[in-house]
Amino acid sequence: MTGSKILEVESLSKKYKTVQALHDITFSLEEGDIFAFLGPNGAGKTTTLRILLDIIKADTGSIKWKLNGYSGKVPNPALMGYLPEERGLYTDLPVIRSLVYLASIRGMKPTEAHHAAMEWLEKLELADRAKEKLQNLSKGNQQKVQFIASIIHKPAFAILDEPFSGLDPLNQEKFIAYIQELNQQGSTILLSSHQMPLVEKIARKVFLINNGQEVYNGHLSDIYKKYGQHHTLIVSFDSEPPIGQLKESGIIESIEIEESNRLRLTFAQGVALNQIMEKLSCLENLHTVKSENANLHDIFVSLVQNQKAN
Amino acid sequence: MNYYKQILTVTLWEYKRFFKIKNELIGIVVMLVLGTMGFYGGKYAASGTSEKRELYVEQGCPEILKEILQDSYSITEISPIKTDSIKAGIAETRQGMLLAKDGNQFILYAYKKPGGLNRLQTALDAYRQQVAMQEKDITPDKLEYIMKPASLKEEYSFQPQSSQRRVLAYFFAGLMVMAVFLSFAFQFTAITGEKQLKITEQIVSAIKPQVWMDGKILGITLTGLSSMLIYTMLAILGGVLFFQFTGASAMQITGYLHLPSILLFFVFTLMGILIWNSLLAAIASIITDPNNSGKSSLMMVPVLFVLSSFLIIRDPDNSVAVFLSWFPLTSATGMPIRWTITEISWWQLAGSFALLIIAFYYLKRLAAKIFRVSILISGKEPSWNEVIKMVKED
Repeated sequence: MTGSKILEVESLSKKYKTVQALHDITFSLEEGDIFAFLGPNGAGKTTTLRILLDIIKADTGSIKWKLNGYSGKVPNPALMGYLPEERGLYTDLPVIRSLVYLASIRGMKPTEAHHAAMEWLEKLELADRAKEKLQNLSKGNQQKVQFIASIIHKPAFAILDEPFSGLDPLNQEKFIAYIQELNQQGSTILLSSHQMPLVEKIARKVFLINNGQEVYNGHLSDIYKKYGQHHTLIVSFDSEPPIGQLKESGIIESIEIEESNRLRLTFAQGVALNQIMEKLSCLENLHTVKSENANLHDIFVSLVQNQKAN
Repeated sequence: MNYYKQILTVTLWEYKRFFKIKNELIGIVVMLVLGTMGFYGGKYAASGTSEKRELYVEQGCPEILKEILQDSYSITEISPIKTDSIKAGIAETRQGMLLAKDGNQFILYAYKKPGGLNRLQTALDAYRQQVAMQEKDITPDKLEYIMKPASLKEEYSFQPQSSQRRVLAYFFAGLMVMAVFLSFAFQFTAITGEKQLKITEQIVSAIKPQVWMDGKILGITLTGLSSMLIYTMLAILGGVLFFQFTGASAMQITGYLHLPSILLFFVFTLMGILIWNSLLAAIASIITDPNNSGKSSLMMVPVLFVLSSFLIIRDPDNSVAVFLSWFPLTSATGMPIRWTITEISWWQLAGSFALLIIAFYYLKRLAAKIFRVSILISGKEPSWNEVIKMVKED
């Protein structure tokens, strides 16, 4: 379910005092996308999102929004939903009151907002606590209310910054389902996260960012095709692993020490399995070898290491 | 959603958040209870002092002096040989006073300086006057003629406003002080509270900082005005009751209800509250943690206009008073007060009011700008220099 371009970001850069937070970032989103902005903490994800929402200004670069007939450099708030990384709601007020207010300032009529809020609270099993003060709810439930506050008005474009942080695995799965449902109802989703296994489940496009720089920008399926051709093996040894010998082999891209005698070896792209087995058979004390498919995390680590090396 | 609808939404939100009729009623009840306690407590405490205090005088004290003193004191004549024991008794019991005479001089013995000493001084003055009159052969009629004040007919080109207008001006100034100090508390809760709860980012993604700030200023001003209205109603009710009990004519009540003056004072007061709310909002926007901020003390700046009102009352025509009646942070009370006690032309009123409007417009813009640049600052509080730099860069 993709369509015309609704957001075009061109050469975005931002510097804070001494830190170059963003460096020449370019990407675009099409209607109906689930676009994941991925990167480690401090990579520049939140800065990008805040610039998109006109909360902070970029030093250079341009942004074009074309959403539901609206076009401009800043987004139309009524069409936007935003779940900030720094969560916060009125803790001293009843849940329903905060939700209705936040929907009202995005243009919803109070009665509609009340109805929509109750529907979502019902769905997230919080309807019976609608009149309670937010501070009486658990952290996980507060997170749910925060999520409702960001999407209650059925935004055409929802920006979700770290939507899974602070959630237990069960609720993480539920949130994945809610985001998919929102997308099916017509919302384009831009989410940022450092929890790559979760993002892998829903995103169709990814933008990998590290130290404010683009590492990868494209379809999720393409990243596996492009960078997932690396063989990854979990190799155990009877005694101390011969790391030096492995590095000298010339076919290994990265070595991660999982335990004292167990290594995770990612081989360079194009290296054939028989070539790998040949090299491994020369090693002493080899105990077991287990093959592992590359995931987004592995690809990201590999790409970042390549970026550093370059 | 247009600008005005958004402002209305934020204004009503802030108003409903802070204006609680229940709290207002509790405040009024507490005030009435404390007032009643103060009135009757003071009356009870003063009841002891209304009794005549015991005053010992030595035998031989002139009759005329005793007669004068009897109006204020309970007089007991004592023998001169008992003087020392009476003095000791006064020191021990801490009660009573002894008035002795040494030649032309009176000597008062008491445990400590008594309250109402002026009554004794007046009595002694009256006694001395009578003695002197007798010595100089002056009759009471002659004395009255001597003491008669010079006749002075007063003719002024400027007639100040009636005392009712002045009372009305002070009344509005008092209400404004109350509204501004109430706003001070609400602005702190509203702005620094939301920053601490990290709600601001969510809100400014939905509305512009200027809309948010305007709504906040208007909502909190409305809260202050509601409190003003309640206390005005109470004052009117109190006034009606007062005149009822004292039997004064209804004209005395209606004398205060001069509509043009009320309108003039109200619009000045309204602008004054808006200006102060904008300034307080700008200060609150910089503060990240009110408990540890050096800038919190700036919230006491409104005391300025309270002081300025006193300065204006003392001499409304000196250059300081004129400046205060034009300076936007003090003119909301300054100009109306000057208007009631000195000659002010219409253009001065209009000019001062226009300056208030202009200052309000720029102050609210500044507040929104400071808020915008400090939204995401949650760590170290920015210095003034940093704030100025950020505002310039934005």
